[in-house]
Amino acid sequence: MLNKNWLTFKLLFVYTLILMLLKPTLAYAYVDPGSGSVLVTTILGIIAGVIYTFRKFFYNLRAKIFGAKTPKDDRSLDD
Amino acid sequence: MTERGKVTQISGSFRDPTSRVYRVPSSDGRGTTRVLRGLDAEMLAYHNTLVKVPFFTRLLDEGRVVGTTSPDATDEAVQDILNHGWAGVIEHEVIPFISYPYEWSFGMLRTAALLQLRVLEDALHDGWTMKDATPFNIQFIGSRPVFIDLPSFVPRNEGEAWVGYRQFCSCFLIPLMLRAYREVDHLPLMRSYIDGILPTEARKFFTGTALFRRGVASHVILPAMVENRIASRERDDAEAKTRTGKPQSRAMVLGLVQSLARLVRSLKIKMDHTDWSDYDRTHSYSDTEHDTKKAFVERAVAGATSPLVWDIGCNTGTFSEIAARHASYVLAIDGDHNAIEKLYQRQRKSDSSMIQPMVMNLANISPAQGWAGIERMALDGRRQPDIVLALALVHHIRMSANIPLDMFFDWLAEMGCEVVVEFVDRHDEMVIKLLTNKTEQYEDYNRDNFIAQARRHFVIKQSQQLKGGKREIFHLAPA
Repeated sequence: MLNKNWLTFKLLFVYTLILMLLKPTLAYAYVDPGSGSVLVTTILGIIAGVIYTFRKFFYNLRAKIFGAKTPKDDRSLDD
Repeated sequence: MTERGKVTQISGSFRDPTSRVYRVPSSDGRGTTRVLRGLDAEMLAYHNTLVKVPFFTRLLDEGRVVGTTSPDATDEAVQDILNHGWAGVIEHEVIPFISYPYEWSFGMLRTAALLQLRVLEDALHDGWTMKDATPFNIQFIGSRPVFIDLPSFVPRNEGEAWVGYRQFCSCFLIPLMLRAYREVDHLPLMRSYIDGILPTEARKFFTGTALFRRGVASHVILPAMVENRIASRERDDAEAKTRTGKPQSRAMVLGLVQSLARLVRSLKIKMDHTDWSDYDRTHSYSDTEHDTKKAFVERAVAGATSPLVWDIGCNTGTFSEIAARHASYVLAIDGDHNAIEKLYQRQRKSDSSMIQPMVMNLANISPAQGWAGIERMALDGRRQPDIVLALALVHHIRMSANIPLDMFFDWLAEMGCEVVVEFVDRHDEMVIKLLTNKTEQYEDYNRDNFIAQARRHFVIKQSQQLKGGKREIFHLAPA
């Protein structure tokens, strides 16, 4: 009797394990981790936006003090 | 490709439903005479505005965006496209030879990335944005990258984030960082990960001190953490959360684009000596013999009228440059990344260069792949050459790649064109070096069998012995 119960328990355990392993794989195709880039661009955008504003301010200030030396608008794709 | 009357649909242009690209094949079927794009009503309205916006006309003038015109609506090919339900048609300059990012050297991908960012930054300044950021939207004309996908430009809504950021990182930035920071060969990865190397996958390459290299934490580790978290939270029964994000000011988007441009510019590779990148200095010819070989190649190419030349196994492109004097366009292909990078860096100095460098292992050429195996073309499924140069190549094909001679000539014959091929005999020091540690001695590799195999498909127009009979160069024409 004890053995039978033990066997049922073992089988249940194995089935649960199989289900646990299978389920995430099956459902994974519906997940869109790329949607996280909204959060990533917000975080990076805030930092980049601060730097952008600061650089613009710095170049404008430098132009006012040292004359018309505006930031190099390098349209070249070379270095 | 699908036949539609006079025009043929280009197989790589179906992912964006707002437009479709068609080509008019040349009468011999080997090339393309015109490239036309059908636009839906919304995209046509955008296009009509776009052509008047200053940033776009400037990009057109600079040759950064593919030359585009409005064809006559009564034109037969245009009518053909309109009959398939498109609201309007525009015509693009023909790209001489289509290439894909997994065939570009580091420097080529880097310049393409800077072009993508340049074009986007210009658009942002004028209140426009771009809906994607894939290198398949860029093509090379010689060594000059050109942006070809006009429907990427859309007016920017107030507060709109840059939707192409993740695609830019996966397709441009991550491959460049892998090569620059980890010396990983990014090309086989890019060939397989056709939609880019995602941050979660790229994350595994960055360990130890590489974690602290510029841009890794921001553009690889952070996105990978966010994406892994979403994947673990939402994969079971959990519902997907809506992620709209906070409105982003233009300064935020511009700042991100500019910081990425600075990051890309900072990425460099070490150009160590490889077998081929030093070929110019280390080849086994004397100066006189090398000149004889150059003259032979020049005569062969000059005999045809403005041909498309494929220089396969081009090394650093010595013979591609000779061929370019007489050809309309030269495709310079080699499996050695640094040799091609060296050629590209030399060629990019001239905007008018008609030599297009390409990295590819000739024993494993780019296959037809993507959706239904037709989205990206195999190398030999694109524009066919008029002359193929295969110089100092056949011994590598036979002994390094184990390709039987008959199969090599079968492949060359499929191109249906003239071939200049060099035979490197068994007693040449380079062949001796190749055979030194080989058990297989490739007894079939000899002059008689080489000529016999060539004659199965070709006639020998001319031949010349080089290096005192150790090598021989043949000009072959289809039989």
